[in-house]
Amino acid sequence: MLKLTIDGNEVEVAEGTNLVEAAALAGVEIPTYCYHPGLTVVGQCRICFVEVEGMPRLVTACSTVAQDGMLVHTDSERVRDARAAVMEFLLANHPLDCPVCDQAGECYLQDYSVEHGLDSTHMVDVRRTFPGLERRMIGPHVVQNQNRCIHCTRCVRFTREVSETNDLTMKSRGNHSYIDTFDGGPYDNPWSACAADVCPVGALTVKEFRFRARVWHLDETDSVCPGCSIGCNIEIGHLNEVVHRFVPRANPHVNGWWMCDYGRFLAEGLNERDLDRPQARGSAPSEEPSWAQAIDRLASFIQASPPPRVVASANLSNEALFLVRQVLRDHAGLQVVVPVERGEERKMKNGRNEWVSNVDAHPNSTGARLLGFDMVDGAGLERFATADDAPLLILDNRAHPWLVSEAAATALSGRRLVVLGRVATRLTEVAELVLPTASWIEADGTYTSSTGRVQLARRGFAPRAQARPTWEILDRLAVALGLHDERATSPREVFTALAEHVPAFGGMDYYRLATDPGLAVMGEVPHVG
Amino acid sequence: MEPILLRARGTPSSRTLASYLEAGGYQALGKALEMTPSDVIAEVRASGLRGRGGAGFPTGVKWGFVPKDNPRPKYLICNADESEPGTFKDRELIHVDPHMVIEGIAIASYAIGANTAYIYIRGEFATEARYLEEALSEAHRRKVLGSNILGSGFDLDIYVHRGAGAYICGEETALIESIEGKRGLPRLKPPFPAVVGLFGCPTVVNNVETLACVPHIIARGARWFADIGTEKSTGPKLFSVSGHVNKPGVYEVPLGTPFNTIIDDLCGGIPGGRALKAFIPGGSSAPVMTADKVTTPCDFESVAAAGSMLGSGGLIVMDETVDMVWALENLLTFYAHESCGQCTPCREGSDWALDVVRRIRRGRGRPSDIDTLLRIARFASQGMTICPLGDAFCEPLRSFVTNFRGEFEAAIDRAEPLSPTKTPILPVRSGRGLFGI
Repeated sequence: MLKLTIDGNEVEVAEGTNLVEAAALAGVEIPTYCYHPGLTVVGQCRICFVEVEGMPRLVTACSTVAQDGMLVHTDSERVRDARAAVMEFLLANHPLDCPVCDQAGECYLQDYSVEHGLDSTHMVDVRRTFPGLERRMIGPHVVQNQNRCIHCTRCVRFTREVSETNDLTMKSRGNHSYIDTFDGGPYDNPWSACAADVCPVGALTVKEFRFRARVWHLDETDSVCPGCSIGCNIEIGHLNEVVHRFVPRANPHVNGWWMCDYGRFLAEGLNERDLDRPQARGSAPSEEPSWAQAIDRLASFIQASPPPRVVASANLSNEALFLVRQVLRDHAGLQVVVPVERGEERKMKNGRNEWVSNVDAHPNSTGARLLGFDMVDGAGLERFATADDAPLLILDNRAHPWLVSEAAATALSGRRLVVLGRVATRLTEVAELVLPTASWIEADGTYTSSTGRVQLARRGFAPRAQARPTWEILDRLAVALGLHDERATSPREVFTALAEHVPAFGGMDYYRLATDPGLAVMGEVPHVG
Repeated sequence: MEPILLRARGTPSSRTLASYLEAGGYQALGKALEMTPSDVIAEVRASGLRGRGGAGFPTGVKWGFVPKDNPRPKYLICNADESEPGTFKDRELIHVDPHMVIEGIAIASYAIGANTAYIYIRGEFATEARYLEEALSEAHRRKVLGSNILGSGFDLDIYVHRGAGAYICGEETALIESIEGKRGLPRLKPPFPAVVGLFGCPTVVNNVETLACVPHIIARGARWFADIGTEKSTGPKLFSVSGHVNKPGVYEVPLGTPFNTIIDDLCGGIPGGRALKAFIPGGSSAPVMTADKVTTPCDFESVAAAGSMLGSGGLIVMDETVDMVWALENLLTFYAHESCGQCTPCREGSDWALDVVRRIRRGRGRPSDIDTLLRIARFASQGMTICPLGDAFCEPLRSFVTNFRGEFEAAIDRAEPLSPTKTPILPVRSGRGLFGI
């Protein structure tokens, strides 16, 4: 460890730490454009100048490694003058189109302009433009406006160092150099939108999010990507109970600073809702069951003879799955399976630049395995569901593609069915009882990633209409069955019980999940996929 | 002074090995190979030889930076990417005596322990690249290059690598990137090339003229070399003289010769008997000097004391007819075009300064423009940029504006006032904008 002083604050850092990171530890923010913790240091935007005692010239904090006893000043007059000058250079040709720029609100150029820039410019000449590159779809998800580019090359380095696809490059030279794809083809790697994330300005923006909302209006909720079992950490941007986007949230253990396009564009799907209230087949709207009645009907369904079989889901949270195990499997003695779909391969780089890949399409199949459920594939699920004429309880109507298929509707016609879900499928049309469940963002839940990390996805807003989280439905069922006297007040209570009963989750604390980058489960994680 | 570097100028077939051997060529290499590498470095250090590419860094010291215990291969690069406007001395050297450069490369490679050397030559020098190739193949045939040179056990291969014509590739780290097959962008320093250079290995980059001096130092001794020139600026120096002189060309003089001797005695003075207005002593990136400084001796220290730099020895002479605003626009056009675009101050500043100067020349100058230009010059130089290209355009910018401020002010005074019809952005009525702002 090294000790250095930054603006009078002494800070201890590991060897090899650069001054930007060291200053952050000392509570001092050094402005940066080209520097990104997940990319190589190029030191070319020149905004991070600091003064180090004993060095004759200002140095760029990103490319200067902390040394023992260094005395660093980040707010001296020389530094302020230099930063103001660099800001002026950057803004000399940058269009003043913030009102129509989608980056506004999360634009470093805006932020640092206020903080470090001059309040006017000496630039009176015609600004440089890039005709033809002003509103260009550079790929299926990314829109380029080269006029706004500050030539930080973060996007270029992203495609070189992280996606390893080498799609983007800088062409031409000097002030007229511009970002383009290396071969002139579309920019379409599986992580393409991350280039727009790393873009500190509005030069690259994500098509799907453009002009949907001003980012300062968005509410942001820390969550986990529902797209596959890698469990990339994300932040969900939503406004007035409408989800607008997913953006990656840094977690060096799982996804670094990145997420794939497939996961990112699942955001829109969270807004779908067809099922808004408990529905019983054949009942007139005025006679539809209340939740209390629906739970009673569910309880009697479970106690029917022959006993129903249960199709759980690897999309459910650890808490919901724990209640499935406790209430349905162990208490009611029902047969439960968790269907797992083998999906497309997803790949992700973690913060140590290691690839994690996966073909498991569910966010929590590792959790289901650790809870000891029987896992089945599509064929196994079909055998399980059609083995006899027993009633079926389907806890997630989209747990597996087979359940959504016409084949399932045919095979299960005439059967007693209770279905939980959010979006109408063929099975919800024939089920005797349909219960609306909360979407990903409408309920807190923990999920276990394929690498064995338990991560918390937070609730952004309350379930719309009469939908309820699955754990809550199961918990109310437990009360109706006489398993507990009182309902749990939060998923935290369920998780605490889970941590007590399941060794793999031993010692985990729900609050720590909220602050830590996920907690690793105890013991070996069976390889998935 | 008897010519040293250009001694073969005028000799027929001076580029051939036979002609070079006749003049005593490759004897210095034989002598060097009998010395230890550290003795060679010590000899060059004692000679006081300083880099002829522009920075004037002591060559022997630079060689000494190469770590001896580094197990990786070492490389020597001869920088023949002579792109500085006003500089054409390396071209002349290659034209006249390519073997002198090759012998210098061989001695330098032996001194630093390199078995591979590159000559990075600018793309436009197609003829010169061919001359070098011819000389190299002749040297290979006659076993003064290749394996076991002159029976010493020392191996050396030299490759000619042609650039694609970017000025920035004359900067040593951009040059290294270019040889590696990448975009020619300067690297962050440290680490310096002597430690992490070409392909990540210790590398020394020397100018053509610097290397051409080396055989003479070895052959005739450091003492002899140090006696030429001044105390701290030793040896002969080639000056590429261009502009308003009667006989432009490459001249070899001892360092410390006054500029007026070069201009008047060697180059035959200024045509038409006109008066000298200004001169740039060291290639276009050196600050311009006014006529009253023409008696300054041309050595590193004196030129620096006079507010400029000796640079590469590209002496650009301007007589009284030159419009300095035009001259600056000309220079800035070059630098704005050649800025690599990597770091902010140089990329934005060079283009911006050009816009301002161009506008002044077109009669649209504003009184605030001079301060703007000086502000750009201040904040795009002096370590604000990754490589010295920032200084390269800021030094002329600053020196032109400060030394000839009157001309810039006069050009601004001549500017037409902004009239309503010519204001491009908003129609102005009685001093108020369209929207009454």
